[in-house]
Amino acid sequence: MTQKEILDELKAIIVERLKFDPRRAAEMTADTTLPKGIEGSLGLDSLDFIELSVAMEERFGIVIDEGQDLADEFRSLDSLSRWILSKTA
Amino acid sequence: MTRVVVSGLGVVSPYGTGAKTFWTGLASGTCAIRPLTAIDTEGFRSRIGAEVPADVLASLGPSRRRARADRLALAAAREALADADLSSTDRACAGLFVGAVGGGMLEAEAWYWEETRTGRPSPRIGALRAVLPSTHAETLSFRLGLCGPKETVVMACASGAASLALGLDLIRSGAAPLALCGGVDALTRVCFMGFNALRLLDLEPCRPFDRDRKGMSIGEGAAFVVLEEAGHCRERGGRAYAELRGAGMTTDAHHVTSPEPSADGMVRAIEDALTAAGRAPGDVGYVNAHGTGTPQNDRVEALALARVFGPGRVLLSSTKSLVGHTMAAAGSLEAVASVLTLQHGLVPPTANLRVTDPDVPFDCVPETARAVEVDAVLSNSFGFGGQNVSLVFGR
Amino acid sequence: MSASRRVVVTGMGSVSAGGIGGTAVVARILADAARPIGPVRAFETAGWPSRLGAEVDDAALEGLLDPAAARRLSRICRLTVAACRLAVEDAGVPRGPALGLVVGTEHGDFRSSEEFVTGYLKRGPSGLSPMIFPNTVMNSMAAVAAIEIGARGPSVTVNQATVAGDLAVARAAALVRDGRALAVVAGGVDEMLAHVYRRLSEMGMLSPAAGRGREGCRPYEPEHNGVVLGEGATFLVLEDLESARARGAVIHAEIRSAAWGNVPVAPHTAPRRRRDLHSPALRALVSAGVAPSGVGTCYGSGNGDPALDDWELGLLAADRLPAPRSLASRFGQHGGLGALRVAAAALDGLNKVAPSPTTLVMAHGLARGGCRTALLIDRAA
Repeated sequence: MTQKEILDELKAIIVERLKFDPRRAAEMTADTTLPKGIEGSLGLDSLDFIELSVAMEERFGIVIDEGQDLADEFRSLDSLSRWILSKTA
Repeated sequence: MTRVVVSGLGVVSPYGTGAKTFWTGLASGTCAIRPLTAIDTEGFRSRIGAEVPADVLASLGPSRRRARADRLALAAAREALADADLSSTDRACAGLFVGAVGGGMLEAEAWYWEETRTGRPSPRIGALRAVLPSTHAETLSFRLGLCGPKETVVMACASGAASLALGLDLIRSGAAPLALCGGVDALTRVCFMGFNALRLLDLEPCRPFDRDRKGMSIGEGAAFVVLEEAGHCRERGGRAYAELRGAGMTTDAHHVTSPEPSADGMVRAIEDALTAAGRAPGDVGYVNAHGTGTPQNDRVEALALARVFGPGRVLLSSTKSLVGHTMAAAGSLEAVASVLTLQHGLVPPTANLRVTDPDVPFDCVPETARAVEVDAVLSNSFGFGGQNVSLVFGR
Repeated sequence: MSASRRVVVTGMGSVSAGGIGGTAVVARILADAARPIGPVRAFETAGWPSRLGAEVDDAALEGLLDPAAARRLSRICRLTVAACRLAVEDAGVPRGPALGLVVGTEHGDFRSSEEFVTGYLKRGPSGLSPMIFPNTVMNSMAAVAAIEIGARGPSVTVNQATVAGDLAVARAAALVRDGRALAVVAGGVDEMLAHVYRRLSEMGMLSPAAGRGREGCRPYEPEHNGVVLGEGATFLVLEDLESARARGAVIHAEIRSAAWGNVPVAPHTAPRRRRDLHSPALRALVSAGVAPSGVGTCYGSGNGDPALDDWELGLLAADRLPAPRSLASRFGQHGGLGALRVAAAALDGLNKVAPSPTTLVMAHGLARGGCRTALLIDRAA
C-alpha cells in the first residue's frame, strides 16, 4: 500500500469506527491532528485510540503493542500513516 | 442516628458455596484465577478468570433451566436469610436491593449465537425472559417472599456496594427494619470479550498495586447480606457481625471508562462515607480496595487514599487479586470480606504482589494474610462510568 | 423518611413521540388530545400481527445535540442526554457534587449489545469494537448524561419492567430526603427496537394479543388486548425545598411522599385477584398524613395488558383510591412513561377551568412480577 492509500483507509476507519461525519472526513488531510488537547484536532481520547488501534490491527494486519509510547506516531494522520507504512513494508 | 448491623451473610464465590468457604479462600491467600472453561476463549488475548467451578454450580440445585446468574443469586440470598435466622414475618417486610449488570446474558448469548450461526430461529429464545438485570430481584422476591421495596441497581462495578448503601438508607429512613442487599454476576461472553477488546485484562492473574501490573482478571459470583436495624436484631435475638456505619455515593462525571485523574470523585465518596460513619481517617485500620489491577485504577485509587489517609497510614489489599473482578458482585463480596476481617481480626492479602508500585505508598499486605485487630474497615467500589461507592464498617 | 426535608419538582425535560421540550412543552403535550401512536417507521413490521408504536422524531432529536459532542453516543444515550439537558436548563439547577441523577430503563441499550456481539460473530475477536462495549452495561446512559449535566452526586440506574420511570423518581425523592443530594434529575428512557418489538409480539404481549380485536392501546377498557410500545426519555428535576427556595427556583409541585414495594408473585405474572398486604400506596398516604379520600386524581401504569390493568384496578379499589387514568394510550409503553405520569401529576389541574376539590394526585405503578410504586404529589406547593 502507498501512504496515500493508508491515509484513505484511516479516514474510512475514522468514519466507520469512530463515527465521524463523512463530510468532515472528506475535509481531513495528512496534516489533520488527532489527540484531544491540540487545537483544531479531531479531539480523540483514550477510548478513541483503543478503537482506532483495534481497527488498524484488523485493517492493516499489524500488531500494536499498547505498552509502547506511541504519542508521536498517533499525533497526525501523516505521522500515523507513515508509521503504518513502515510496519507493513 | 439509627444503627444498622449486618445480621446475615451469603456467598457463592469462585472458591465454592458459603461465606465460610469464601473466607477460608481469602485467608489462605489462594488465587482462584485460572483458564476459563465455561465459555469459549479461543482467539482472545486473555483467556483466564475466576469461575465458579462446574461441580459447585451443579450443587446449587436441580433447576438447570434457570440462568446461571439467577442460580448464584438465589443460593447466596438463601444462605444470607438462613444465616440471619429470619422469620417469614421478618422477610415479608424486608426490602430487596440487587446490584446486577449481566443478568441472564450468558444464556441469551447462547440463543443469539445459535440463531446467527444457523440462520434459523433457535428454541433457546426462551432465555430472553431472564435476560434483564432485574430478573434476579423478580426471582428472589418471589421465591423468598419479600414484600418490601424491590430495586435493581445497575452501576457497573459499583452495583454490589450500591445495593448496601441504598439498603442502609432505607433502614435509616424508617421505611423498613431490614433489607436483603447484594450483587451478582455470572460470566458472560460480552464481558469477557469487552474487557479483552479494551485491552484491560492481564494475560496472567491480575497483580493489583504491583509495579508491573498489566490489567484486571474477570470473575463471577454472588454475595448477599442482611442489613438490619440494630434494635430489631437485638430484640429477636439475632446475631450482628458488624455495623454498616456509613456509605458515600458520588460520580466522577468525567469519562465513560477512565477514572478522573485527580481522584476527586473517589475522595468525596470516601470522605462522605467516613463522615456518615462518624469516623476519622485515623480510625480506619484497613481498606478493602477496589484494586482491579489496571494501571489506571490502582494509581488513582492510591492517590485518593493518600489524600484521605496520608501515605502509609492504613493497610490495604485487593480481594480482586484472589477472586477476580466479579463485576456487580464485587462490591457485596468485598463487603462480606470487610465484615469478616473485622470479625476475625485478619486482613486478607493481595495475591500476586511482588514489588509494590512506588506510586502506591502503602503496605498492601502481599501474599499472606495478616493478623491485625481493626475497628473500622473502608470498602471501595469505583465503577466504570465514574460511579464511586464507599462503605465503612465498624465492630 | 426525614420529616425535615421536603421534595419539590423544579423542572422537566422530555423527548417523546408527543414532542420535545421543557415544562411548558410537556404541559402542552399532556393537555393536547393528539395521539402520537401510529405505524412504526423505524423498522419493517410487514407480516407481524402488530404494527403500531409511538416513536420519537429522529430529525428533531438530532437537532438537539452537538454532532461532535454526540459522536460516540448511541441513540438511547442521545435520548437520555437530550432530555436531561432540557430538564436541567428548564430548572436552572446548578451542576456539581450536590446534583444527582437517576435513570430508569426497561431494556437499556440493547441495540449496542447487539451491535457489539455481531462484530464478533461476523469477524471474530478483531471485529469487536471497544468503543461500543461500555454501552452494553445499562449504566452507560447515566454515565454520559452525568458528564453532560455535571452531576457529581450519586448517579443510579434502575432496571424495572413497566414502572422504571416511577421507580426512578421515587428513588430520587429518597436520595433528596436522605440528604444524599440537594437536587436529583430523575426519569426514564427506552427506545423502540425491532428485536424487542418482535419478541414481545411473539410472547403475546403486544396488541392485538392472540390476534383478537383491533390493534390499539386501550388501558383499563373492556376491549384492552395488549400493549403498544413507545420510546423516549422524560426527566424531572427533584429538589430539596429549602434549597429550591433559596435559589429562587420555580416550584411546580411537591412530592409529599414516595413509596415502593413488592407483591411476591411469580415473575412475569399479574394475578388479578392477589391482594397486597403491604400496599405502598397506603404507606405513601400514611406518610403524608392523608386519607385515600384526599386524593383527587390517580395516574396509573395500566397500559392495555389485560391482566396487569385488571390487577391494578383491583389493588387501587382495595385501597379506595380514585379510578386511574393512563398515559400509555398517548405515548406507548416505555421507561419514560412513569416519569411522564409524575409530570402529569405535577401539572394536573393546570389550565383547567374548574379546579378539582383537592390538589393531591397519586402517580401509581404496578408491574408484572409485583413491583409496585406510589408517589403522592401536591399541586399546591
